[in-house]
Amino acid sequence: MEVLTTNNFILPFLVFFPFIGAVVGYGIGRSNKGARDIWAWIVSAAVFAGSLMLIGKESAYTLPSFCGLGISFFADGFGVVLAVLTAAIWLLTTLFSKEYMTEERNRNRYYFFVFLTLGATMGIFLSADLFTTFIFFEIMSFTSFVLVIHEEDDFTIRSAQTYLAVAVLGGLVTLMGLFMMYQLAGTLNLNELTAFMQAQPDKRPFYAIGVLILFGFGAKAGLFPLHVWLPGAYTVAPAPSSALLSCLLTKTGVFGTIIVSCKLFLHDAKWGSLILILGVITMVMGAVLAVFSVNLKRTLACSSMSQIGFIIIAIAMQGLLGEHNALAAAGTFLHFINHSLLKLVLFLSVGVVYMNLRELDLNKVRGFGKDKPLLKIVFLMGLLGIAGVPLWNGYISKTLIHESIVEYIAVLAAAGQSTAWIRCVEVLFLFSGGMTLAYMTKLFVAVFLEDNPYPVERKKTGAYMNKLTAAVLVLSAVILPVFGLLPHGTQDVLAEMGRGFMNAHAPEHMMHYFALENLKGVKISIMVGAVVYFLFIRKVLMEKDANGNLVYVDRWPQWLHIENKIYRPVLLTVLPYIGGFFARLAGSLTDGLIAILRMLIFNDDNGRVIPPEDKYFSAYTGGETDKTVYREGFARSLLMIGIGLTIAMIYILL
Amino acid sequence: MNGNAILLLPMLLPLIAGLIIGFQKEEKQRNLLVFITMAVEAVLVWWLCLGEHSLEAWRMTERLSIAYHTDGLGKFFACLISTIWLLAAVFALEYMKHEHKPARFFMFYTFSLGALMSLCFSANMMTLYLSYEFMTILTVPLVIHTGTPEAVRAGIKYLGYSVFGAGLGLMGFFFLNTYCVTTDFVAGGTLDMALVAGRENTLLVVFFLMAIGFGCKAGMFPLHAWLPTAHPVAPSPASAVLSGIITKGGVIAIIRVTYYLFGADFLRGTWVQTALLVLSIVTIFMGSMLAYKEKLLKRRLAYSTVSNVSYVVFGLMLLSPLGFVGALLQVVFHAVAKNILFLCAGAIIYKTEKTYVYEYKGIGKQMPIVMWCFALASLSLIGIPPTSGFVSKWYLAQGGLAPAFGALGITGVAMLMVSALLTAGYLLPIVIDAFFPGKDFDNTSLQKKEPNYLMTVPLVLLSVAVVCMGILPNPLMKWIAGISGMIF
Repeated sequence: MEVLTTNNFILPFLVFFPFIGAVVGYGIGRSNKGARDIWAWIVSAAVFAGSLMLIGKESAYTLPSFCGLGISFFADGFGVVLAVLTAAIWLLTTLFSKEYMTEERNRNRYYFFVFLTLGATMGIFLSADLFTTFIFFEIMSFTSFVLVIHEEDDFTIRSAQTYLAVAVLGGLVTLMGLFMMYQLAGTLNLNELTAFMQAQPDKRPFYAIGVLILFGFGAKAGLFPLHVWLPGAYTVAPAPSSALLSCLLTKTGVFGTIIVSCKLFLHDAKWGSLILILGVITMVMGAVLAVFSVNLKRTLACSSMSQIGFIIIAIAMQGLLGEHNALAAAGTFLHFINHSLLKLVLFLSVGVVYMNLRELDLNKVRGFGKDKPLLKIVFLMGLLGIAGVPLWNGYISKTLIHESIVEYIAVLAAAGQSTAWIRCVEVLFLFSGGMTLAYMTKLFVAVFLEDNPYPVERKKTGAYMNKLTAAVLVLSAVILPVFGLLPHGTQDVLAEMGRGFMNAHAPEHMMHYFALENLKGVKISIMVGAVVYFLFIRKVLMEKDANGNLVYVDRWPQWLHIENKIYRPVLLTVLPYIGGFFARLAGSLTDGLIAILRMLIFNDDNGRVIPPEDKYFSAYTGGETDKTVYREGFARSLLMIGIGLTIAMIYILL
Repeated sequence: MNGNAILLLPMLLPLIAGLIIGFQKEEKQRNLLVFITMAVEAVLVWWLCLGEHSLEAWRMTERLSIAYHTDGLGKFFACLISTIWLLAAVFALEYMKHEHKPARFFMFYTFSLGALMSLCFSANMMTLYLSYEFMTILTVPLVIHTGTPEAVRAGIKYLGYSVFGAGLGLMGFFFLNTYCVTTDFVAGGTLDMALVAGRENTLLVVFFLMAIGFGCKAGMFPLHAWLPTAHPVAPSPASAVLSGIITKGGVIAIIRVTYYLFGADFLRGTWVQTALLVLSIVTIFMGSMLAYKEKLLKRRLAYSTVSNVSYVVFGLMLLSPLGFVGALLQVVFHAVAKNILFLCAGAIIYKTEKTYVYEYKGIGKQMPIVMWCFALASLSLIGIPPTSGFVSKWYLAQGGLAPAFGALGITGVAMLMVSALLTAGYLLPIVIDAFFPGKDFDNTSLQKKEPNYLMTVPLVLLSVAVVCMGILPNPLMKWIAGISGMIF
């Protein structure tokens, strides 16, 4: 990784080739759908090949004067891993799209925006300064909006609007933060910013700026309290898009959070605490929402939120642990990658269910996978991974995060400080891990083990999935246990590649993932999971219907709907009302004054009809019939102006 | 007359051509004539702007004369205006087919261009004032073109506000005639400091009133009220240039008064600067908020102009190079984007007669090119990178956040963000409705309604410009940096 290649043309290729590919693909798709699909594979394969060529070196590329300030790309180990991950996941979902999208309308539009989004996502992950990050972040928000709104039914449009609204709001707040940061630091280059911030004796004025910058990234990551868009948008998007949203687009928000935390507020315990609180709330809330959900995709969406909470906690631990944050850094980066790989498998599996039944409700999709061993095993791989079961990849990264929390408890205890609250975090961490197992078991049992008392007719003819789709699923599922079984050969290597970007140090000793003390945490989580599943989900969240069949019910209280109860009323009704009141007041000030003056001047003209809505200069009688009044009125207006000017002249002469 | 008489051509050509156009009954020939006039004018202006020319057409008294000069600022505006005027004219050729008396419209449309060129190239305050009044009077027929009572009333209101605003400006010129070394525009100001000494406050009041007066054309609070009345009633090509270009006439006058007569140094740090910054911030918020509340598309766009042109005033009143660069970038980008939006609104009216924002469901499937242009212009107006609006906002914000302005600057920049959010709130739902009418929407009722090339070509050209100028703003910025280098 020592060699730095400047002007490596692969970087702009990865970012801009998808944009060109999107346009060309759209043109091809107008006349030939089959050729368009093949072109889509070529584009994603080319990008994947390009990303592989980055491995083993550091590359940089600068495009001066783009958008004024100029943009620059940079890929060290961290960027390379993300680029490869992005390209690989994109390739797999594009292959998967072929069968999934067959029945959909507007496929040409879909592919066009998928590739625009690919270019933008690459731009974010490869950016060397926050200006570049922001430009591609905004492009991505808008292009991915089209992916979310694809189905165009009422609920979809509503969810997509929420998505866009949060994205626009977040983007503008972040932009405000960037304005202020640039004003103070004179640069937005990440490494220069790190140096600048390290040189600041007093970081207090920067916390506000940091929060502003974090706002947009946090919104994209689904961080509490800006998570409101996430469950809806993931649920309504087509499955390949949901996979992309969960695996990569949301991760751009996490990426931004890493930038703010590891580049701007490096080893800053106060900042770490703030992030920790947000992360814990997001983690617990996502898990609870997922347990309550009765919609296949919505459960996975809330699960994404919860898992991102785990990653955010890891980022926070980096700040809290300061210099000794090797475990936290490794946990951050590995859970980032592992969650992407896991959610790819899970969302694509759910996509297979949806493309057959056109339903996502748990009561309707029940029993779909009972006689489909391949899909069952693939989904099971995802389940075991995300629940953090040893020998699968999720266990590795969750253990690292858990260990970093334990390490911080030890640090606090050694310093003689209270460890109560951080112990609380640990408990919530293990509890959320348990709930992960519980809600995933809920899905697995419903789709693959139970019988459906009310079977739904299959909408798809032929095999439930074709060979290509099956190959994509198997390929993405195989990686999970491989990563879990060989942590030192795979995960440790990746962690080392990501270390430099996060300014973390190497670990003091090799991590023993399968040591007894590390397995203890898993034991607690699995016990919690079993308790939640058998005592809560099966007892409270299921009930017998009129025919005596046990069905899933949605018990989430409506009054806890934060978007409908708080955000929408405040942002769409209360604030515009107040703002509109003052704006109208200002807006009609001059006209009102003129109306009053006119009444004073014309009050003796009793014969004249003045329509009440006429608040303009001239008195006017309606229609064009009576020209004299109009002229008279206008003449008098001119006269008034003349008098005004005369007064001015007199003043000058005196 | 002395100097280069060729400088009279940009004013005389539209004047003569306009007279011929006005009495040309044959539609085909008239259209050809309009196009040729506009094209020749644009080429002529760009060619003139390659060199440096000055002309004294008529000397009234020792101090007062009609004189023209192609300085940096004049060239900048002249090139912008003549180009956009040409594109809007091409659009109008098609659009005016469904309005009555197209000859009259094109006559005044052509005349106004002459007045605007005169305004751009004017070398002293008397020429500026006369051109300014001509511009007002010649554009009134465009506003009242449809002849409905509503339009006539709007025209009168437009005239009244403009004349009042120009009156304030004229009053200021009376003062400046006394206190300035010369009435010619000199970069950096021409105040005679020996005379001014002791009467600074009087002059600041004068400046304040002048800024308010010329701010009328730029839609600045408190004299903004003509704008949302006059723009919706005019035929769409006319509202496009009224909103995109004529409002910039006010900006030219403000720049001339601020930077070429008073001089930035005289005004920096005074209460006038604060007051005008506050007024522009108020206008920014008011315009966006009212646009958000408005349901008639063209009036919504007019309110949006009120807000967006005040970005320019905000940038100018910062009296710093960064603010100036941001303001002039915003002039160009807003002119382009707002023209696209009004022309799109016009194309929709022309093809479907729909004027209210809630009627536009599914229109993106009927007129994809038009609505794509609308979408790109909307993004630029919000300031989403890489469209051009983002670049101007970046410089305005950098200017506004300079330590000298403290809390006021931060408020102003925050207000730019609030306004951007509101802009998203009033433009994006239109785009979303147009392209994503919903699953239940009856797609079979839609027919292709794309207008012909006369409408789409100008729209596409402007849309390409709106994106390309955002991605590669450097040539433009170098140009503006040259102008600001003269002033500061």
